[in-house]
Amino acid sequence: MSGATSPSWLIARQSARFVLRERTVALLSLMFVVLVLISAWLGWSATSTVNRIYLDAAAFLKSSGQPVPTNPVLDISPLSLMRNMSVYVALIGALSAIVIGNRLVGLDRKAGVLPLIGIRPLGRSAYAGGKIAALAGLTLGLALVASLVAVATFLVLPAVTLTGLQWAQLAGFMGVTTLYMGFFGLIGLAAGAAARSETVGLLLPVTLWLTLTFIFPQLTANLNPTAAINPVSALALPPDTTFFHWAARILGPFSLADAYKFASAGLLDYLPQGITSPSFIPPILNLILAVGVALALAWRALARLSMTQGGYNV
Amino acid sequence: MIRTNRLTQSFDGVIAVDALSLEIAKGEIFGFLGHNGAGKTTTIQMLTTLARPASGTATIAGHDIGTDPLAVRRAIGYVPENVRLYDTLTAAENLIFFASLSGVAAPERRVNQVLDLLDCAYLADKRVGGFSKGMRQRVGLAQAILHQPEVLFLDEPTSGLDPMGIKMLRDLILRLNTEFGMTIFMNTHLISEIAKTCTSIAVLSHGKLVFHDRIEAVTARYGDDAALEELYLSLTPVGRLAEVA
Repeated sequence: MSGATSPSWLIARQSARFVLRERTVALLSLMFVVLVLISAWLGWSATSTVNRIYLDAAAFLKSSGQPVPTNPVLDISPLSLMRNMSVYVALIGALSAIVIGNRLVGLDRKAGVLPLIGIRPLGRSAYAGGKIAALAGLTLGLALVASLVAVATFLVLPAVTLTGLQWAQLAGFMGVTTLYMGFFGLIGLAAGAAARSETVGLLLPVTLWLTLTFIFPQLTANLNPTAAINPVSALALPPDTTFFHWAARILGPFSLADAYKFASAGLLDYLPQGITSPSFIPPILNLILAVGVALALAWRALARLSMTQGGYNV
Repeated sequence: MIRTNRLTQSFDGVIAVDALSLEIAKGEIFGFLGHNGAGKTTTIQMLTTLARPASGTATIAGHDIGTDPLAVRRAIGYVPENVRLYDTLTAAENLIFFASLSGVAAPERRVNQVLDLLDCAYLADKRVGGFSKGMRQRVGLAQAILHQPEVLFLDEPTSGLDPMGIKMLRDLILRLNTEFGMTIFMNTHLISEIAKTCTSIAVLSHGKLVFHDRIEAVTARYGDDAALEELYLSLTPVGRLAEVA
């Protein structure tokens, strides 16, 4: 079969189409897009307001013959106005990815079509590859929407012009965002394939998401849950105590919300001076490793999925 | 066409199919009888490559189920006891997907052909979620023959169908066998159906093959349907229990 009609591609296309018809998936994805738009609007609004006030003040100072200071909008990197996006990705983006990953395999199990797929001339690897490809496509789709919103925001802001390097940093941020959502999507896929019941298949990755987003940052950087999702106040050094020293050493590599936050802050130029990730592994490498592990788990769970039974056992 | 050699399956130490050796010739309609839990579905799952046998071998249309499962899958169609499909998709959407997975070159055209063949073209654009058992069974049969398999496996095909549905399905099975030369392997409980449809039968009891013969030989030896039922009951645990009582 050609690439366009290979079993993996057919599984991927069918799965993606089927998942997109799901109301929960559509609702969460829509919420993600709306929040991305809000984050862009917040950044745009804050920058525009400061710029407008500056222009009014500059005009007044100029008319009264006083020296005009530089525009504060130009003192900070324009990329930092996208910092709210990283919060929404860590919250609703990751949650959307979990639901998408879970439904990609959960819908086949719930529909009870696995025996009918299992007797087709395709290997288990084609099925697993198709599901993972569908997840990659949908995650990239979400990231692409977020990217388009970010690009549009920078293009409509008159006071802001990005350099080539800054556009590359923005692309890097979108890559990191895709990795972060991809990790949770793969965990959702693995749990959806391995769990005996539909509920457990969804609860397991959601519990992991809660742990990584709200609990681990408290242990690795002594951040309260609200601060953990705040892109500005969350970026602070943990107390210099033995507990936090060891917690950061041991749990740091697993504190993925922290890794994503630090990677985003670095790429969007809002990481305060002297603040570094609590993990000894660089944040982006940390995310790549996590995605690698999640990919292996998802592959194993899909390859071991029993095709004899239609649905869930419970 | 189908040959098994000491095919065995066990779950948690309990033997479900015990050293099953069978030979079914091309063009036969084979009826596989047995009580609930006898191992009939497990046998089909192994022959259709959905489950790996614990030991033993089998070939379908000359392809080994263990070493060449993809070739086996190209040669077979399968209708499970409860046909389950994507309920939110239409019958045609479901069938196009399965046809594509089976490597059918022009899936849309083939789906229309098969739906016409099974006299259910009117189901094409209806969502499967609202289908009756009989309608599902027809779409189930359609998905199994999309790629024109040599062997068709049917697991309790008449289960839950009304007499009209049973007759319709029987006619279709006979048609697929006579017009398209498909070899049919059918698990069933219905002795009356065996006599009307099958060319050979076998009885499985607690995973062991206890009887296997051609239907003419059986009817010549044991007579009509009632006698066939007597034979079946005498070979199964329920029948033996009745004898003791």
